[in-house]
Amino acid sequence: MDEMNDMHEVGRNESLAVSIDQQGTVIAVGDIDLAGGPLLEKAILQQEESQPIIIDLAAVEFIDSSGLRSLLSASRRAQGRETSVTLRNPSSGVLRLLSITGTTTQFVIEEAES
Amino acid sequence: MNTATPAEAAPDTADSSTGQLVTLVVPAVAAMARVARLTASSVASLGDMTVDDIDDIKIAVSELMTLFIQHDDPSEITLRFDAGELTFSIDATMAVSGADLEGPEALLAKAVLDAVCDVYELDSVDGRIAARVVKKRSDQSTSSRG
Repeated sequence: MDEMNDMHEVGRNESLAVSIDQQGTVIAVGDIDLAGGPLLEKAILQQEESQPIIIDLAAVEFIDSSGLRSLLSASRRAQGRETSVTLRNPSSGVLRLLSITGTTTQFVIEEAES
Repeated sequence: MNTATPAEAAPDTADSSTGQLVTLVVPAVAAMARVARLTASSVASLGDMTVDDIDDIKIAVSELMTLFIQHDDPSEITLRFDAGELTFSIDATMAVSGADLEGPEALLAKAVLDAVCDVYELDSVDGRIAARVVKKRSDQSTSSRG
């Protein structure tokens, strides 16, 4: 419960809810699609001036190419700052879309410890 | 070039159709992408698609919505879902002016469609864009390729 209180909610809509925790990790919950992508991008933009970007995707159930574009934009900007975007705990669906589009190498993938 | 309208193309799946035909008309706004996905997955579950097939169908519908909703256009998208025993097909159409089906966003969406569907067709003709997507049940896809 304390962890929840320590999070700052950036916004939510019919597809996605996005928060930032005290460590600066962007936490996405829901679907990253045409509606959710811009919300995620807003959160990423809030964080990326100060630190490398870590996006927790453990609670992302779905992603499509419009959502992927938000992640790729963040990756390109991060590369320009000589840093990277870490995707933490991506679901099999997220990993599959990265694989389909050949974009896996654009990110640091941090999978859950078993 | 195949310029068949979705309604004209529908008989292609008649052999495998079980009559689970659902038409959804939604405003062309981003919020409707989720509605379209949920409807498609529900209809697909009436057929004999696998869980992985249904995941692919959800992605396909979302990519169609991405292709169709490229700007603020007060239009409607008509989606027609047909759940057959061996295939699931989607016919989508929308009246639109100046659809960009070759830009970088569209190319990424089409690359994903190519990966998750067995067949997809996309046309922009006479102020309308129309798309047709067919997903075969996984074991059918495997056998037809073997």
